[in-house]
Amino acid sequence: MSATPNYLTLAFKLAFNGFEIAVDQNIHLSAITGIYGDSGSGKSTLLRVISGLEQKAIGHVSLSGALLQDSEQKCFIKAENRQIGLVFQDSRLFPHLSVYQNLAYGAKRQKQSTLSIEKVLTLTKLNQLQHQNVTQLSGGEKQRVSIARALLAEPKLLLLDEPFSALDKTTKSQMLTILKEIQQQLQLPMLYVSHSLSELQYIADQLIVVSAGKISQAYPIHQAIHQLNSSGETSAKTSLSLTVAEHLPDYGLTRLSLPTSQDNVCSIYLPLLEQTAQPNLIGHQLRCIIYARDISISLTKPEHSSIVNHLSATISAIANSKTHALITLQVAEQQFYAQISLWSANRMALTTKANVYIQFKANAVHSHHYTESSPNA
Amino acid sequence: MTDISADLLALTTTLKMAAITTVILLLIGTPLAWYLAKWQSRFKVFFEAIVALPLVLPPTVLGFYLLLAFSPTSLPGQFWQSATGSQLAFSFSAIVIGSVLYSLPFVVQPLQKAFEQLGDHHLEAAAMLGAGPIDRFFSVVLPLTKASFITATALGFAHTVGEFGVVLMIGGNIPGETRVLSIALFDHVEAFNYANAHLLSAGLLIASLLLLSMVYLLGNNFNKRQQSAINS
Amino acid sequence: MLNLLNKMLKKSRHKLLALATVCLALHISHVCAIEQTWVQERPLRIAVAANFAPALKVLLADLPNKEQISYQIISAATGTLYQQIKHGAPFDLFLAADSIRPALLEEEKLITENSRKSYAFGQIALWSATRKLTSLNELNTYSEHLAIANPNTAPYGKAAQQALTYLSLWPQLENQLVTGINVNQTFQQVRSKAVPLGIVAYSQLKINQYQGVLIPEQYYQPIDQQLVIIKTSKQVEIAQKISDFILQTSSQEKLQQLGYLPVKAQND
Repeated sequence: MSATPNYLTLAFKLAFNGFEIAVDQNIHLSAITGIYGDSGSGKSTLLRVISGLEQKAIGHVSLSGALLQDSEQKCFIKAENRQIGLVFQDSRLFPHLSVYQNLAYGAKRQKQSTLSIEKVLTLTKLNQLQHQNVTQLSGGEKQRVSIARALLAEPKLLLLDEPFSALDKTTKSQMLTILKEIQQQLQLPMLYVSHSLSELQYIADQLIVVSAGKISQAYPIHQAIHQLNSSGETSAKTSLSLTVAEHLPDYGLTRLSLPTSQDNVCSIYLPLLEQTAQPNLIGHQLRCIIYARDISISLTKPEHSSIVNHLSATISAIANSKTHALITLQVAEQQFYAQISLWSANRMALTTKANVYIQFKANAVHSHHYTESSPNA
Repeated sequence: MTDISADLLALTTTLKMAAITTVILLLIGTPLAWYLAKWQSRFKVFFEAIVALPLVLPPTVLGFYLLLAFSPTSLPGQFWQSATGSQLAFSFSAIVIGSVLYSLPFVVQPLQKAFEQLGDHHLEAAAMLGAGPIDRFFSVVLPLTKASFITATALGFAHTVGEFGVVLMIGGNIPGETRVLSIALFDHVEAFNYANAHLLSAGLLIASLLLLSMVYLLGNNFNKRQQSAINS
Repeated sequence: MLNLLNKMLKKSRHKLLALATVCLALHISHVCAIEQTWVQERPLRIAVAANFAPALKVLLADLPNKEQISYQIISAATGTLYQQIKHGAPFDLFLAADSIRPALLEEEKLITENSRKSYAFGQIALWSATRKLTSLNELNTYSEHLAIANPNTAPYGKAAQQALTYLSLWPQLENQLVTGINVNQTFQQVRSKAVPLGIVAYSQLKINQYQGVLIPEQYYQPIDQQLVIIKTSKQVEIAQKISDFILQTSSQEKLQQLGYLPVKAQND
């Protein structure tokens, strides 16, 4: 395989749904770059332009310096020659072919193959289904076939357009976990479009925000999500990576650790992740989301509370809206966001640099990590 | 020549004409239907109307104008003569060309509808997997629109077999070359050979009924799959 | 069929090749056609007005040396055959149901010189398939549909109109008419009992052994049926032989039995 591409240059305009998408951005490709935006913001169209499915885009697109299209030079590499994979939201499997034949469709059309169908079947956990008719598959199975099929076309860049938006939460988590594993094994850069921040938070390591045909720069995922907090468009949340410290099956909890200084760590608990011990997650980084509305603030150390998580924090900013206040807090290097009523904020006379305690339930810590449910559950 | 052997000759001429016409219709009609299905322009309706014209035009009228065009004194007729060295009017080629024009809507319309229904989804997926346009047609479009191809083929073939007015005008009813079943049948009626006419009518009726039933049976099966496939 | 197409299409993955296939298909068909007409001795093609075709077959059964002369009978409406000859139809001999079209062909110099000849005179008869008729008087009080051929285009229709006019029945029957495009259609309409009464060719009744009332020849202008030899024919001699045969006395006598007035008798 040729060298992994490391940047994508986009400079184009395209009339779309009554407004214009105008993009001028050089995107450094990380493992998985998330693209976030509301429906109708143009994020799918962005992927279609990169794929070569929108011939009317005016401007320039190139991948690591290799020209894909340039309207001035009258150059347009067709979709089938771009070596870019696209996984559609509606899977678009070929209904006249079996699972295996769908996979072979892409594989057959490659000059050099580095992946075998068998390997990809294993990666996508499709071995059992390979002889099935694709019309009989469940939604999650269909998308696994769709991803497997795209992988076998050996793309240099894989685009995913809301691939799991139609799936239920458990299946979605399972698929996200599988996709992440695939990325790590194949080192294939991906652009992942979604309107679900929690999904993107789990899967992407950097995020681009699309809004009304304009796209932002790519920022590291936690930073990008925190920036969205101040925009007021999404519900405010804390996005952070924590290390899995231990599983406490007797209490139904898993303990995560957040380093606070060189020697000290503080603990954050969430509902037990591992019911089976395979694979053991201890020592792994886990991405978590805590909604600001789930974090409360106490002026004194809450020692007589049922709430398991409480951390000492310093207020770094207070932003008032009509109904509530968004409080930004620091726990060592980590930022937390708490949303409390204006009434509470006034009553407690919160000011910046004040030392307070934040507290939240274990259930408030969300992670898309796939947890296999135990047979007894 | 006995009437039976004359009718057999007319039968082979008819089958040959219908088979060649159908092959040509599919070769011409498929790309035509494709462009009509994909083309987005307000002039499209005009071309659709042209394709549909044989449905409303009396065949003898179409036949008469084709006769004018194929005549050795007209430009197309002269062009054909200089290209092939033989006359176009009253030749087997003439009735094939006439039938192609006359049966065109029966092939183009079902295919166009199928291509429109198929949409771009599966084609885009195929493109993203490295399949070029022709590859996509054979690996995706053809298998997914099989039912419509069967319908188009059967309708084109059957309509050509039943073709009368155009062939009567431009064929000249020449045995072994342009005398087809429908004209032989007409001749029998005109010549009061009612026994032969009945025999031929019954044969034609039963054969057509069988062919069309088979096609609809096959088409129904495929069509269910085609519908569910396209909608999935 | 589809499999065949599949195979063909699979082999021809280029538009050019597809086009070539079309050309080839047409060309093969063409070559086949040529072989059939030229490898064998090309039969003489006799284009004949549909209503005379049965009579012609009867006559030609007695053609001398008929083993050596191979011919094909091509029948259609006189007007259709005329259009086809005008546009190059490969016919040798043309037996029309009227004298107008042969005269036009002569004017257009599409026939060999002096080949235009009257070969028979048609007669008309009143006929019903539902009841036995006794005389033309039945028309006097008739109030249902009456079938005749189109008086403006078909010679037998024109004769029917003339006869009805002669009998002073035209104004009274005009609104009861069902007109066929030619006399064969009129015959079918009456034969199917769709129309109770019609004026048809006497020859049609003769050949099918039906009984009708012959309309006297003095009630209408003679239905002059003429034949011509087509100029482009490469077998003018054989065409001439057949023309002579049709005009010879024995053939003309036979025509009389078939419901036509003979040419010789008319000339006498």
